[in-house]
Amino acid sequence: MKQIALYGKGGIGKSTTSANLSAALSEKSLDILQIGCDPKHDSTRMLMHGQWIPTVLDLVREKGEGNITTEDVVFSGYNNIRCVEAGGPEPGVGCAGRGIIATFQLLEKLDALYGDVIVYDVLGDVVCGGFAMPMREGYAREVYLVTSGDFMALYAANNICKAIARLSKRSKPCCTLGGVICNSQNIEGELGLVSEFAEKINSELTGFIPRSQIVRVSEVNKKTVLEYAPESEQADVYRKLAEKIMNTNPDPDKKPTPLSMDELETLAQKYIKA
Amino acid sequence: MHKNISRHDGCTVTGALTVTTFLRDSATIVHGPKGCCHQAVSVLHSSMLYNECFDIPDIFSSAMDEKNIIFGGEDSLNDAIKEALDEDFRCIFIIGTCISDTIGDDIESVCAGFNEKDSVPVIPINASGFLGGSFEDGFISALKGASEIIGENCNFSDKYSDECQIKPLVNIIGEKNLEYEVDANFSEIKRLLNLLGADVNLRFIRNITFDDIQNFNCASLNIIREDTTGDIKRHFEKLTNIPCISSYPYGISNTLEFLKEAGEYLNINPDLAIKHEINYQKEMFESFSDLRGEKISFDSFGFQKADSNLFTEIARHTGIVLDSDGVTIPIPFFTPVGTGGVFHMLSQWRRFING
Repeated sequence: MKQIALYGKGGIGKSTTSANLSAALSEKSLDILQIGCDPKHDSTRMLMHGQWIPTVLDLVREKGEGNITTEDVVFSGYNNIRCVEAGGPEPGVGCAGRGIIATFQLLEKLDALYGDVIVYDVLGDVVCGGFAMPMREGYAREVYLVTSGDFMALYAANNICKAIARLSKRSKPCCTLGGVICNSQNIEGELGLVSEFAEKINSELTGFIPRSQIVRVSEVNKKTVLEYAPESEQADVYRKLAEKIMNTNPDPDKKPTPLSMDELETLAQKYIKA
Repeated sequence: MHKNISRHDGCTVTGALTVTTFLRDSATIVHGPKGCCHQAVSVLHSSMLYNECFDIPDIFSSAMDEKNIIFGGEDSLNDAIKEALDEDFRCIFIIGTCISDTIGDDIESVCAGFNEKDSVPVIPINASGFLGGSFEDGFISALKGASEIIGENCNFSDKYSDECQIKPLVNIIGEKNLEYEVDANFSEIKRLLNLLGADVNLRFIRNITFDDIQNFNCASLNIIREDTTGDIKRHFEKLTNIPCISSYPYGISNTLEFLKEAGEYLNINPDLAIKHEINYQKEMFESFSDLRGEKISFDSFGFQKADSNLFTEIARHTGIVLDSDGVTIPIPFFTPVGTGGVFHMLSQWRRFING
């Protein structure tokens, strides 16, 4: 079983990338489970044809943990991809990070964490212990940083990189950096910038997803690109990404090297010109 | 060493509980996990039992669990307050813990919701467990929180009761309720005040009722047990306009100065009281005449900050010689209060010297 997590800045396109990646993986007749770990709970919406599925934490709040079944929280989406949304508390209340931990523990108790590939879609603006949980407890074995050439997106990616570097110091590290995925924002010099960023953090560019109108059109039609426009070039981009990830076996001894703020700024200045 | 397990360590929760639980007709809710409440209450209760205080305080826990930590614990606190309000308490205190503070529960607004509709005040104490600081921080916060009961429009000159007009009254603030000598120290302060012709109005807070606090403004002087930060004095002066003495008197000369200072605040000529006390102190030292010429040295165990001037003064008055080869005398954890405290300490010195 391959367990991958996509981390990145809010709004960078993690959910779109995750859903299309899951869809592409499912074409290989693989059993896929996608878990959205964002209180926004929109990770699996395209796989569910626009349906907002109930979140694990909403159900825990309403029914209590003891009364929840697998059928309550795991929903079958496009190509039988199993979809779960962790959810979260109301804004400004409680601890969403702890909620992520509780969700995983409940799914484990329900024997729902199985399949050929589990895709964790995790928000990366906040990397408290709770949100780093998928890495720390071995749920996510390979982390992919989703970024663009936008400075703040790189900043968030670098922060996740710090979390992985920190976890790699443990006596039994179980999480490695799989690579960097560039979800393009059509920024000049973006490919060069993100490629060099990947290299500098001792990783590699796993995939470059060009900005395409077809992604927006598919979303409006409540489908992934793989489902809405399977013959499109963009669909092939996701297929190639899926292929690359399936063939990636990150070396556990290869530790990420996050950049200092100065290094990150210097790198950005090199590519982003007025 | 005297038997004393008074607690000066621990988190704000225990410190705050040592204040709130001594308002007899109130209840305290610890807003946190059950275990957190249990730990703090165990320390409090065992210390109270050791100091021969057998009352079981009314303490509730909001019993936060994982669900509360994820979704917020304000609903649980709400339920706990409702449960406490079902009983016949005159006032409810809420003490937050590390857990409720970490996840950002808004205790003040939960309390405000009750205070809008209920006649029983629900008072938040700024605590936050270890996050909020030490035992002493919790203790000070609880004194400040409880002072809300006194009310905002405090002006002692307008509110003198009949009793106030007969003799001036004094509030005692912030007694250390887990201190073994708490009542002995109180008696000593009362004795000194009586020498001046004044008396105690209110012990804020030690075994008093909610209604007792309504008489707070009958006093024309506040005496604080100890105020290392100056925070308690500033708070009560601002709140009540009543002048404050910020410490119990320690030792010999400081006790005489205390009489003078209190006399000034109470508009009483202290000369007679001071003369009486000087004679009393002479008699007291005379009763330890057998110790004259004995040699002692002080041991602070390396962790207590001893006011050596105070102990040196007591030794000199008794006729005891300080000598590094003399009998080792442990510095007491609490500095002796008033002349009475010196008497008890000298009795201990005698035990060491004759032992």
